[in-house]
Amino acid sequence: MKHPKLTSLAFAALAACAMSVHAEDGSAVTISGFGTGALTGTNTDNAEYARPNQAAGVKKNPGFGVDSNFGVQVTDKWSDTISFTAQGLVRKDGSNNAFTGDLAWAFAKYKFNDDFSFRVGRIGLPIYMISDFRNVGYANTMLRPPDEVYRQVSLDNVDGADVVYQHSFDDTTLTAQFAAGHGKVDSPGPYEVQYHPVTALNVVVENGPFSFRLGRADAHFTVENYASLTTLVATVKTYGIGALAPDLTIDDVKGSFTSLGMTMDYKNFLIQSEYAKRKTESRLVPDTTSWYAMFGYRIGKFTPYYNYATVKQDSITSYATLPTAGPLAPLTAAIDGAITTGLRSTNTLGVRWDFYKSAALKVQFDRVKLKDGTAGSFLNPTPGFSGPVNVYAAAIDFVF
Amino acid sequence: MKTKLKSSVGMMLLAAGLWGAAVAASATEIVVIVNPKNPATRMFSEQAAQFFLGKSTLFTPVERNDGAAIRTEFYQKVLNKDATQVKAIWSKLVFTGKGAAPKEYASSADVKKAVAADVSAIGYIEKSAVDDSVKVILTVQ
Repeated sequence: MKHPKLTSLAFAALAACAMSVHAEDGSAVTISGFGTGALTGTNTDNAEYARPNQAAGVKKNPGFGVDSNFGVQVTDKWSDTISFTAQGLVRKDGSNNAFTGDLAWAFAKYKFNDDFSFRVGRIGLPIYMISDFRNVGYANTMLRPPDEVYRQVSLDNVDGADVVYQHSFDDTTLTAQFAAGHGKVDSPGPYEVQYHPVTALNVVVENGPFSFRLGRADAHFTVENYASLTTLVATVKTYGIGALAPDLTIDDVKGSFTSLGMTMDYKNFLIQSEYAKRKTESRLVPDTTSWYAMFGYRIGKFTPYYNYATVKQDSITSYATLPTAGPLAPLTAAIDGAITTGLRSTNTLGVRWDFYKSAALKVQFDRVKLKDGTAGSFLNPTPGFSGPVNVYAAAIDFVF
Repeated sequence: MKTKLKSSVGMMLLAAGLWGAAVAASATEIVVIVNPKNPATRMFSEQAAQFFLGKSTLFTPVERNDGAAIRTEFYQKVLNKDATQVKAIWSKLVFTGKGAAPKEYASSADVKKAVAADVSAIGYIEKSAVDDSVKVILTVQ
């Protein structure tokens, strides 16, 4: 989400708040921050490895852009019931390949009572289990969220409102959150995706070392300014195969994302897993099933971990009715390409070392296998790029 | 100063052997305290841990300063976690906008004062530091 004006406003607000800390003694303003400095590289020059919604990635030559970020959060607690929070986030994200600042959140929170609170403004959207803190490397075991699942919806935040209910029943805590609003994602391509409206339900049950989560997001979305896609859809109509057109719409498409997740933090054992289904009414945003499972084991300050992640496509990847030979063959290939998403699986090995009280060093190795002849969400693949690809990364996460 | 004191205590423990260690351990017995007006009368370790791990916001946790020996011991015995794990858990809550990290106080006297001043506060101090201004709801074994 790029709103340059809003962003500079946010930073001005952050600065103003920072000053008021000194101005008012005993003021309830708290400033906290997080960041990750990471170097990422691969063993191939035939395609670029990038996170979801990044315009460029890295090849053999390692770079800082993929996994590095920096965030500052300011909270002003007005009273026991009212508080304001703003979070600014700098990272490489969106249509331009540069570190840019976003206003990730800016909301007012009203606490009705011990159980209910209400937020309005720009809020994080709880699409995934770790949606809210996925950018905070320090709060996560792995170096980055598993791409296979976290690429499925790239909307981070919405302008809207949510209500959170949290209640403890003996030693079980139930948290239920319902959010609604509208949002916009500035995507590489470049194109924009408008979500209008989007709703998200997030239910978490925690008991001792276990936590279980159910998430459901529903949206109507429109893809805007995607030149090649618009041309393709127009061409389909021109060639009299307009019957496909309703399948290939990018205007006011209904979509949903349903996910289940669990974490376990028992003694030295860590488990984190999510299973998700994406469904839309347009084949241009294919239906997918994705999941990952992470296992970690804490040995003092070191936490070695293993993760497996995979994504498969549930909707068709080609139209049997379209000609694969003759003059229309290139169009068929273009359509089939457009209705297929990046499919892959990844085996990840890594270790987190808590070398300092508020900083951690992570080293991670990923082996990414491409599936079904797709480029597996790698960017700018050369013809014939087939993987598998080794990805190497080292990162320092910190919080303050 | 504090570290010096701690290490000399450590030396004494080493010197005094097992018997001495047992005596020293009981001397630093930790209790969980709340405001006398708080209706709670007794609590299990697991329940107390919920507040210090941000899982429940019913009571407001009051923390000791980072590096305090009693904090390390409390984390081990009640939260079953080490300091970095607890830090990671709070960083999740803070950066989800769901909670603010507990306020930290430099001494048991300050913790006691903070708990005495807030009906919903919960803290931990040495048993020997308890007085009428607070109510003990759990003695850590």
